Amino acid sequence: MSAYNRGTELDLSWISKIQVNHPAVLRRAEQIQARRTVKKEWQAAWLLKAVTFIDLTTLSGDDTSSNIQRLCYKAKYPIREDLLKALNMHDKGITTAAVCVYPARVCDAVKALKAAGCNIPVASVATGFPAGQTHLKTRLEEIRLAVEDGATEIDVVINRSLVLTGQWEALYDEIRQFRKACGEAHLKTILATGELGSLTNVYKASMIAMMAGSDFIKTSTGKETVNATFPVAIVMLRAIRDFFWKTGNKIGFKPAGGIRSAKDSLAWLSLVKEELGDEWLKPELFRIGASTLLSDIERQIYHHVTGRYAAYHDLPMS
Amino acid sequence: MRTGVIGLILPPTFSFLEMMWRICPALAVGCTVVALVPPASPTPLLLAQLSGELGPFPGVLNVISGPASLVPILASQPGIQKVAFCGALEEGRALRRSLAGECAELGLALGTESLLLLTDTADIDSAVEGVVDAAWSDRGPGGLRLLIQESVWDEAMRRLQERMGRLRSGRGLDGAVDMGARGAAACDLVQRFVCEAQSQGAQVFQAGDVPSERPFCPPTLVSNLPPASPCAQVEVPWPVVVASPFRTAKEALLVANGTPRGGSASVWSERLGQALELGYGLQVGTVWINAHGLRDPSVPTGGCKESGCSWHGGPDGLYEYLRPSGTPAQLSCLSKNLNYDTFGLAVPSTLPAGPEIGPSPAPPYGLFVGGRFQAPGARSSRPIRDSSGNLHGYVAEGGAKDIRGAVEAAHQAFPGWAGQSPGARAALLWALAAALERRKSTLASRLERQGAELKAAEAEVELSARRLRAWGARVQAQGHTLQVAGLRGPVLRLREPLGVLAVVCPDEWPLLAFVSLLAPALAYGNTVVMVPSAACPLLALEVCQDMATVFPAGLANVVTGDRDHLTRCLALHQDVQAMWYFGSAQGSQFVEWASAGNLKPVWASRGCPRAWDQEAEGAGPELGLRAARTKALWLPMGD
Repeated sequence: MSAYNRGTELDLSWISKIQVNHPAVLRRAEQIQARRTVKKEWQAAWLLKAVTFIDLTTLSGDDTSSNIQRLCYKAKYPIREDLLKALNMHDKGITTAAVCVYPARVCDAVKALKAAGCNIPVASVATGFPAGQTHLKTRLEEIRLAVEDGATEIDVVINRSLVLTGQWEALYDEIRQFRKACGEAHLKTILATGELGSLTNVYKASMIAMMAGSDFIKTSTGKETVNATFPVAIVMLRAIRDFFWKTGNKIGFKPAGGIRSAKDSLAWLSLVKEELGDEWLKPELFRIGASTLLSDIERQIYHHVTGRYAAYHDLPMS
Repeated sequence: MRTGVIGLILPPTFSFLEMMWRICPALAVGCTVVALVPPASPTPLLLAQLSGELGPFPGVLNVISGPASLVPILASQPGIQKVAFCGALEEGRALRRSLAGECAELGLALGTESLLLLTDTADIDSAVEGVVDAAWSDRGPGGLRLLIQESVWDEAMRRLQERMGRLRSGRGLDGAVDMGARGAAACDLVQRFVCEAQSQGAQVFQAGDVPSERPFCPPTLVSNLPPASPCAQVEVPWPVVVASPFRTAKEALLVANGTPRGGSASVWSERLGQALELGYGLQVGTVWINAHGLRDPSVPTGGCKESGCSWHGGPDGLYEYLRPSGTPAQLSCLSKNLNYDTFGLAVPSTLPAGPEIGPSPAPPYGLFVGGRFQAPGARSSRPIRDSSGNLHGYVAEGGAKDIRGAVEAAHQAFPGWAGQSPGARAALLWALAAALERRKSTLASRLERQGAELKAAEAEVELSARRLRAWGARVQAQGHTLQVAGLRGPVLRLREPLGVLAVVCPDEWPLLAFVSLLAPALAYGNTVVMVPSAACPLLALEVCQDMATVFPAGLANVVTGDRDHLTRCLALHQDVQAMWYFGSAQGSQFVEWASAGNLKPVWASRGCPRAWDQEAEGAGPELGLRAARTKALWLPMGD
């Protein structure tokens, strides 16, 4: 958590000539899902790896300290102990990567994790999540307060209107200010790709966000009509790779929203492995924002270990 | 009307789907199929099992699994009406030569190479995926020629090499591979190609997670291969990609069209105008814009130039297995002792026929080449006699040099003519029709001297003018959009001109046949070199006098002389794109044999007379089909 992306100077020539062809990207997305299938014990291993990437999330209006506490305990013990023992993985320290909550609930989350004796980071959403249509002053203040409360990762939303009107310098400046307000905390920039209009805009927004100093770029808030889809992810991963080739900095990627089944999560892992390589398959560079995904993965692991399908009540609730 | 029994010869590299694509249309229109498949692959056995299950109709689909030596035996069986050959270039050529004059028609689908054109306004990452689809996967049939615009050369090469590193090769049933193997022979071919390329100074890059056992060959990228090297002349084997740079889009077209292969190509550009210009300009059978390798049974797939001219899929695929109703099945005109080396080589000399009595006829006609009458190279003429044996006139004795000049003139006129809109072409044809009508009395009197009655002669002239008008009107309807399942966006079926068309007219119907062949050829945008009726070329030369004023220079060229000699010159000419021959059976055989040189499509009458005054044979849709070639243009849409 100590090193963070200090960003680079704004260089608009990196985005001026870019073109993204939508039907071709769609075709590539279909291929990835079909061509890299994993079975048997390798599938179980991949699923456990996927668990370590999850940012266990709860972002509802009716969050209170009780369900936050339950969530934090589930983050510490994501898979039932006996299942892990059967796979001989009980001593590998398998927890989720982080816990993600609203700013007002950060204190509860920090307290619950301390009580559980777990040092998973607490991520907080900020800057007028999910729409981002509030004044800049209050957005920056939100970040500062969340960091004060103990959040070590901040998920900010960008101002979509700046992207849609092509004001790239203004977007760069805003994210730079978010970076400063975060201080040493990790900055995840949510691009809200469902509202950006075209894949070319997604690429440009990703590059600007990375140049301005994001540690992660995230596809969506989870609250839009279209959240994390493979075509959008392919474009963002290509942007991450191009940024790495130009500067040598590795930026992380987080899809969020709409990832519910274990099969989906395996496809996401394949996608990152294909486009970026094995170095990105680490919790420092890849996260999955999900809440019900964990229970589906647990059921798949239960099936792998016992050969039977579990009912929902067989596995502890999150 | 359906053709009959089809003999289908399939290469070892075909997948089951591709075999089905060729067999099913034949069965659908009512033909029966005998398929010869190579013995090495198990897929044909599945085919054979399927055909065994066709319960009530045994014998509809027959599968023989045998070596390549059976090909000529199958092709020359007397019961087969059409042979469809898919495979390598040299074998196709040899088959074309051996099948000249046999009663079976031949359709060739040769070659597996395709082309990818990457401009600087393309989405380079997606184009790299297109390269993977084309060459480094199991979907592509063969290797790829990659043309990259110079300004994005470094970017594209870097991304290609990065992507190659992620490819996985292995056995097909492993669920996570991109490509499999295609046999030891294919692997050897690649090794030889790579070694030769390296010895000629090219850079070879190979990558990917590939097992090192024998039949697996790694994805290969070859760059800096000089275009003049022998390696660059042959077809690129799978899975090799040969990359070359280009500077501008216009140069790209020249480089891309500068090979004898004309199968399929894709254009990657986000600028619509540029993409369409490149798509229309490429001389191939299928063009994909910002995609590669898309296929659908309702879209015609085929090629031009040395990729053979047979089609599968779409309406053209069905026409392969049909022939116009009312035409008889092809007769064999095979004469075993036709000497291809001496046919038409020497022109028999004609002695003057004795003292001439009567007024001297008009001065001899020249050849109509390049828009004006010229003297022939040999500086001699031949006499033409009318029906009562009297001298009707003198026409020029054309030879090989004249043919060469005529073809050059036609090529010069071609770009301008092909670029005209259908309306402009129709206007010129109508103008010629009007000129013919003004000249009716002269033409009718000449026809009378050849033995026709006055009424019949006048009717012939009128019919000729009518046909010109009809073809002018018919060509207004242009390329239509095909419905393709699963694609968002149109697929256009364009009808493009063939190029320079050589036509040898029949002896009978000297005016009507001449006009009936000239009109569709010109209407579809071709330029022609015509050899008129040997018995009376004067009618054609009268029409030339009108063409001199109405048409642009070089559009239609007429060369008179010894028919066999001129046929030989035209048939052996590598720069004639198609040939129509309506002469003797021996001539037809020679034309078919000689077409193997540049694999031009030929239409030979085999000595059967044709009723030119009947609508079906003189002006039917068959003429329109043969006067143009198809191109499928795929335009996937989305932003």
